[in-house]
Amino acid sequence: MALNRKSAVIGSALFLPDRCKDKSLEEALYEIAQEAIRDAGLTMDEVDGIVVGSNDQFDGRAISVMMASGSVGGVDRDILSTPSSGEHAFVLGVLRVASGQFETQLVISWSLTEASSLSEAQRLGADPYFHRRLPLDEGSAFALQASVIGAAWPQAHDLATPILIKNRGNGAKAYPGAAGAKVDRQSVDSSRPKRWPLREAMLPPPAAGIVALVIASDAHIEERGIKNPAWIRGMGWATETGFLGDRDLKSAPALDAAAERAYEEAGITDPRKALDLVELTDATPYQELLVYDRLGLSSPDKWQSDVNGGSFSADGGLPVNLSGGVAAYNPVFCTGLMRIAEAANQIRGKAGAHQKNGAKLALAHAASGFAMQYQTVLVFGAERGE
Amino acid sequence: MELLKRKEDWKITYTHALGEVASWFYVQLRDNAKIYGRRCAKSGRVLVPPRAFSDQTLEPTTDWVEVGPGGKIEAFTIVYEPFENLPEPPYAFGYVQLDGADTAIGGFFKGVDLKDPHKAAEILKVGTRVTAKFADKRVGDVLDFWFELD
Repeated sequence: MALNRKSAVIGSALFLPDRCKDKSLEEALYEIAQEAIRDAGLTMDEVDGIVVGSNDQFDGRAISVMMASGSVGGVDRDILSTPSSGEHAFVLGVLRVASGQFETQLVISWSLTEASSLSEAQRLGADPYFHRRLPLDEGSAFALQASVIGAAWPQAHDLATPILIKNRGNGAKAYPGAAGAKVDRQSVDSSRPKRWPLREAMLPPPAAGIVALVIASDAHIEERGIKNPAWIRGMGWATETGFLGDRDLKSAPALDAAAERAYEEAGITDPRKALDLVELTDATPYQELLVYDRLGLSSPDKWQSDVNGGSFSADGGLPVNLSGGVAAYNPVFCTGLMRIAEAANQIRGKAGAHQKNGAKLALAHAASGFAMQYQTVLVFGAERGE
Repeated sequence: MELLKRKEDWKITYTHALGEVASWFYVQLRDNAKIYGRRCAKSGRVLVPPRAFSDQTLEPTTDWVEVGPGGKIEAFTIVYEPFENLPEPPYAFGYVQLDGADTAIGGFFKGVDLKDPHKAAEILKVGTRVTAKFADKRVGDVLDFWFELD
């Protein structure tokens, strides 16, 4: 089901931990929102609506729109908020433009590290009936999922380290000030166990981050003569049940549904061939493997040759996470919108140190919640498409 | 310049209503040391933990089915970091599909030496048979039971 109207990302701004570190959240949001609007060649008066994605537990502030409105230009303007994930804010922004009611949207999401423990804040995501008394945070859910993936495909345990080395290497180049340092096999394998089978090196520490993107309609882009939009060629999103014990954690039906819709809209039948790069949510290397499979990039019987053969390395046939992914930089709640921004920036030629020359078609995969409960897939193209 | 920070510590207590289904489940657990699931008549699936309705069929569940105490491990992890109001780490927890159930329930694994994670993971591997054990003094909570290897 194609959207009613074409739209594209025309502006972006990222807050990384080494920037604006002396600012309050409201001050930093103001700066990043303004920068994204400038990057889009707009003034605030030309922004038709704003969608915010943020997490009250992490922020220590209830209902983010109340505190964010002033910072992101939402006073006396159309502004909506979603607490489910940053990528859902993006989906809403695209749908609002597709509705024909809006020409432009500002989408902004953030993640803070001001809480004493994000793990404890995440436990509020578990229901208070059967799960709140368990040690269930995102790290535990990721480890449970890793145990299931490793049981089904034991090679996953061997491939987790090389995937991590790839992503951390990419991150050190992309964001030398913000990303974690490069790692090698010895440093990964000797890092302390945290949530077995995940070692400390496989669970990137939470970092602060803000991502702002500006979406515009095809009419706006044509009228302004914008040269390098990242056209949204396909978009899909889906959700699995909240009860972890109901799910088969080695399958990802929500990702299958999201990818199917995004590929269909984008007219992609062979993603491995069609795509120039992928930005996926690798909260753990096990998740990266699962996503390879469900996106149709590499099935479990090919994981070994693809990972060890460098197919998804920076200089491989299909680079995955040139930014370093979540492994290198983990602004927990907005990692999904980060992936979307990275893929869009690659198409716009604005990715920076990790720009892939001539990138024409890029996929962004976002996952949120316990063991990837929410899945979102975006395909961005340099061409508008049909 | 001097940059200040402000520390906030909120303490709010919530009293959540459990509803009829979870209440009945916990009363059986507390008084009789038994675990029950709810059957969805439309799909035939037995949901454990029990739900008043199936989120797959959106039909109300219809009857109680005793499950376990045997089952098999569906997923596990060994936790090496402390959480508030939980035992000192390390400890193992995960999900077990109890005999007669179609979904898995979360709980702790006990009786496994966790000093060497590799060895412990081999013992706790997915598919391993376990049995639910019950505390002598039960309060009507998921911590009233845990799993031990057969």
